[in-house]
Amino acid sequence: MESKTPLWEFVDVTKAYPGVLANDEICIKLMPGSIHGLLGENGCGKSTMIKTLAGVQNPDSGKILHNGQPVIIGNPQVARDLGIATVFQEFSIVPTLSVGENIFLGNMPISRFGVIDWSKVDIDAARVLAEMNIDISPDAITGTLSVGDQQLVEIAKAIAKDARMIILDEPTAALGEEEIERLHALLRNMRNRGTAILYVSHRLDEVERIVDEVTILRNGRVVRASGETEINISEIVSAMVGEDIGEHYPKEHNITDKVVLEAKGLATKSNVTDVSFVLHSGEVLGFGGVLGSGRTEIAHALFGVDQLTSGQIILKGKPVRFRQEIDAINAGLALVPENRKYDGLFFNFKASGNITAASLGGLSRFGVLNLKAEQQATYELIRDLEISNEAEEKTVNYLSGGNQQKIVIARWLFSDSDILILDEPTQGIDIGAKIAVYKLINKLTRAGKSIILVSSDHDELLAMSDRVAIVQQGTISRSVNASDLTHNDLVQASANTSYLKSQEVLA
Amino acid sequence: MKRVFDTQLIGPFAAMLLVIIIVALTTERFLYLGNLSNLFLQVSIVALIAIGSTIVIFAAGIDLSSGSMVALLTMILAQMLKFIGIPLVFALPLIFIVGGLLGLVIGLLTAYGRIPSFITSLAALIAFRGLALTFNNGSPIFSLDPALEPIFYGKLIGIPLPFFYLVFFYALAAFIMNFTRLGREIYAVGGNPAAAVLTGINVRKVQTTTFVIAGLMTAVGAILMSARLNSGSPNYGQTLELQAIAAAVVGGASLAGGRGNILATLMGAMTIVIVQNGLNLNAAPSSIQNVVLGLIILMAVGIDMWRAELSTLIFSFVKRFSSNKKATLKRNS
Repeated sequence: MESKTPLWEFVDVTKAYPGVLANDEICIKLMPGSIHGLLGENGCGKSTMIKTLAGVQNPDSGKILHNGQPVIIGNPQVARDLGIATVFQEFSIVPTLSVGENIFLGNMPISRFGVIDWSKVDIDAARVLAEMNIDISPDAITGTLSVGDQQLVEIAKAIAKDARMIILDEPTAALGEEEIERLHALLRNMRNRGTAILYVSHRLDEVERIVDEVTILRNGRVVRASGETEINISEIVSAMVGEDIGEHYPKEHNITDKVVLEAKGLATKSNVTDVSFVLHSGEVLGFGGVLGSGRTEIAHALFGVDQLTSGQIILKGKPVRFRQEIDAINAGLALVPENRKYDGLFFNFKASGNITAASLGGLSRFGVLNLKAEQQATYELIRDLEISNEAEEKTVNYLSGGNQQKIVIARWLFSDSDILILDEPTQGIDIGAKIAVYKLINKLTRAGKSIILVSSDHDELLAMSDRVAIVQQGTISRSVNASDLTHNDLVQASANTSYLKSQEVLA
Repeated sequence: MKRVFDTQLIGPFAAMLLVIIIVALTTERFLYLGNLSNLFLQVSIVALIAIGSTIVIFAAGIDLSSGSMVALLTMILAQMLKFIGIPLVFALPLIFIVGGLLGLVIGLLTAYGRIPSFITSLAALIAFRGLALTFNNGSPIFSLDPALEPIFYGKLIGIPLPFFYLVFFYALAAFIMNFTRLGREIYAVGGNPAAAVLTGINVRKVQTTTFVIAGLMTAVGAILMSARLNSGSPNYGQTLELQAIAAAVVGGASLAGGRGNILATLMGAMTIVIVQNGLNLNAAPSSIQNVVLGLIILMAVGIDMWRAELSTLIFSFVKRFSSNKKATLKRNS
């Protein structure tokens, strides 16, 4: 910690892609024994910077210093040899291999006879896992572990390579509260042993908790270097967005007392048991709880993805039964799934095809699409939701996460759904796009539509919901007014679940 | 129109043009009118079948059955005309129906039976060939009906009829894929089946429909095959399914589904047939022809896969060139 020479330093690093200056004279110092937060909206140049440090791509100009000496990180192998380990958002573990195999994948210890030294794999893997203070067997098949444990295996890989510099890109996107705590404890531990950590995240509450210093990028430039900015959320937000945005959560209360949907004792084979709640017109009903508590499964029960084994859904006073998704859609429900990449978007379509996908029946006559109407509607939605203009001409894989999410929601605006289930709608999108999604929620409730908001971001859930239903083990334990609930209550609720779970294991 | 003739056509069109130029320069008789009209006759059967193969591929499936189905349908047609005595005007629609039904079976097994289409259509490839052999003790049936041949060899205003079939069916397919709900749903299912389910698209029905379309287009191919040779044979259509898939791939259709332009398949088929034609005219042995076909497929997919690298290469080349030019201009001024 005392050493004044940064482990890694970028000096005026510039990288241009055709048409974009992704990194514009970036300077950053990464000190050993420090967790360095790298923040910025999507498209600000964070990924480019990470890729440069990981050797995935080379800068056009500028210098990279390692312990003060200029080096060239020509390819990922060079980066690994220099002690850099990267944990990318998409895991690079092989689910069918054991934990030990994954940890040593690429540098398996070889015995004298030229074959893999399995006993050494087991011993070393166990040592690394013990060092990390995590309780995973080296023999476990990685794919059977929870997402959080898989993430820890990913980090174990980095530690096994004796990495002095670890880059984490959105490490908590798929983790529950308890798992985040474990990850953070591990990172602090590693920091104390002198490892430099570059931590990229969109979850500002988390950044505040874990990060020692912070650098903020905007439009490919460093707008706040470490040391300049206090680690204080509102300051970070305004530096990132480039303006003082004032209210982070622009909540409007549009709840009425007209009940639009009532769930009575819903149960499915996916561990949903006895779920009852009411949803009002103009209401945002938050579903709080930890990852795996059954929030998504309840959403699936409502949407006809999973069949009800018992219970009843009453929609506008009439009992309904959804045999499949299309029935729910026709009844005015919409599901914006948690994983927009896998379940939400058509990457082969532009904005237009994505927006109209759920309304093709209404858009066509005798099977022929009204393409003029489609274009007009797309144009209007792109304008109203402030979606990038590129969406009109390019397929959606070229758009940022925020724009993609707006397009998925726009699909259900276009289909004129009355009840929208938004499952983690702001996961992995930047703060500016988050605020846009919040404004969209206001716009919807103002028009009398109802929202079920599933979110792991406690602050967001509390700020944007009218009422919060706490989900534990596939059921709603209680529903309360959001104003009567604190951040702590939600954490407590999560803790209770894990407490119950551990009791079950013991029993 | 912009929707139909989009940028996806540029690559396959350039490839076709390149092949035409090369073959025209190296082969004397290529540009003869007789050869050109022969070219349409040659390409017609594979290009029409390729419409179905491509639409299946758009929905992220694969249809290996078309070659054998051609053999089976020519035998059924021959049986009806020669031995049962069903008149041609009734026999042809019946062949359509049988083709559609065979496609339906493959489609149902794939979509509702959840067996991958590679397997269902592979099983069909093997079984259909076997079924074709059960007719007439496995021997070809010749001289079916004098009215059959004009379907293939006939001309309208001096142009061979297969040209009009191509125009008609490709126009219809382009219309379906670009302007109808079905076309959109096919692209959606191929692009992301999970998302398609959650947006209320009936994924299984759409998948099944693509195989029915493939069956119908194979029936068209089978009728033309019978008309061309005025016969039916259990040996017809060998490797035709692979040529049809090759046409789709050379035309840029992504085997992962969701991407591609149906008209590009026609260009892909033309490219393949022109190369074969050039080799034929130069008396190249058929073994070489297959090697060349293999290389064309590799190149077509390779160019697609290396697109990013190639465009960076071209971009940097153009940049260097233009900056040189700018520097020269500066110096001169």
